[in-house]
Amino acid sequence: MSSQQQLSAAPAASLSIFSLTAPVAMGYIPLGMVFGFLFVQAGANWLMALCASVVVYAGAAQYMMIPMVATGMPIGAIALATLLVNLRHIFYGLSLLDTFPRSKLLRWYTAFALTDETYSVLTTLPRDTPPQRMALLALLNQAWWVLGSLLGAIIGAQAQVPLEGLDFVLCSLFAVLAVEQWRARSSPLPLWTALISYAVATVVIPEHALVLAILLSIIVGTVSYKKEQGDE
Amino acid sequence: MNDTGYLIAVIFAMGAVTFALRALPFLSARLLRRSPVVQHLGRFLPLAIMVLLLVHSASGAAREHATGPWPELIAIAVTSLLQWYSRNPLLSIVAGTALYVLLRNWH
Repeated sequence: MSSQQQLSAAPAASLSIFSLTAPVAMGYIPLGMVFGFLFVQAGANWLMALCASVVVYAGAAQYMMIPMVATGMPIGAIALATLLVNLRHIFYGLSLLDTFPRSKLLRWYTAFALTDETYSVLTTLPRDTPPQRMALLALLNQAWWVLGSLLGAIIGAQAQVPLEGLDFVLCSLFAVLAVEQWRARSSPLPLWTALISYAVATVVIPEHALVLAILLSIIVGTVSYKKEQGDE
Repeated sequence: MNDTGYLIAVIFAMGAVTFALRALPFLSARLLRRSPVVQHLGRFLPLAIMVLLLVHSASGAAREHATGPWPELIAIAVTSLLQWYSRNPLLSIVAGTALYVLLRNWH
């Protein structure tokens, strides 16, 4: 889920907090609504949707959890899948280490709220931005996500979906994110690895194909690194 | 799904894992900076995982009807092409989903 293109096109120096958080709001409110709506349609109540967006606050992982909890998947398996889906977040903090708020509360909150979009907004801020402004920006972004989830949950609780296939919005979202990752690729290997891993995983353990395919991809990724090093 | 205790446990487990990942660099910055394998995986995995999530959710959707995976393939192709040329996520997502709903309901 991303409005990164709009963000990176914006000039960084003279931006108010509002002009930075507005494009995020345009993405987070509708995407949060989709989460709240689908979560409630899958059988959860609106309070749980609100709770998920306050406590988890991770777009792809929250979408992923809907079919998982609907089928009653074990908590450990869901936690592992979350770890794998959000693994990229490990690297976000690295480029922000020096500019992050020093105050403990602000620092840990901003780290907690470091989504793809908040990361890209924070990295466009000038280096001398006061830490309170960084934390406020992170908080506003989460507020849009929570607001969207709440709206979606309320609508989802009232409505019966008359059309089949609305939940395809998640497929479209993943397609968009995959295209953006493809644009930024340094090699096509991850794409082929994913396709082949998924084909293998579907044959071996169909009911846990996704997690197994991610594990296979991590193995291939590690081996490809060793091989690169060996070749040099 | 209506089991509130299970849902709360899932939500807090997911929250803890996500927070741990996002906070890790601030706890072990030097360790991570020094691990070239971790950095390599950081470049390798996002594309692989997005493709996996896409294939997984599309094949799940294709299993819900008996006409073959054509609506999924067409809608994903249109979404991807739109995103590739427009770079506008909302446009691509809304247009791709609308096309899919049309294909599923009017054919």
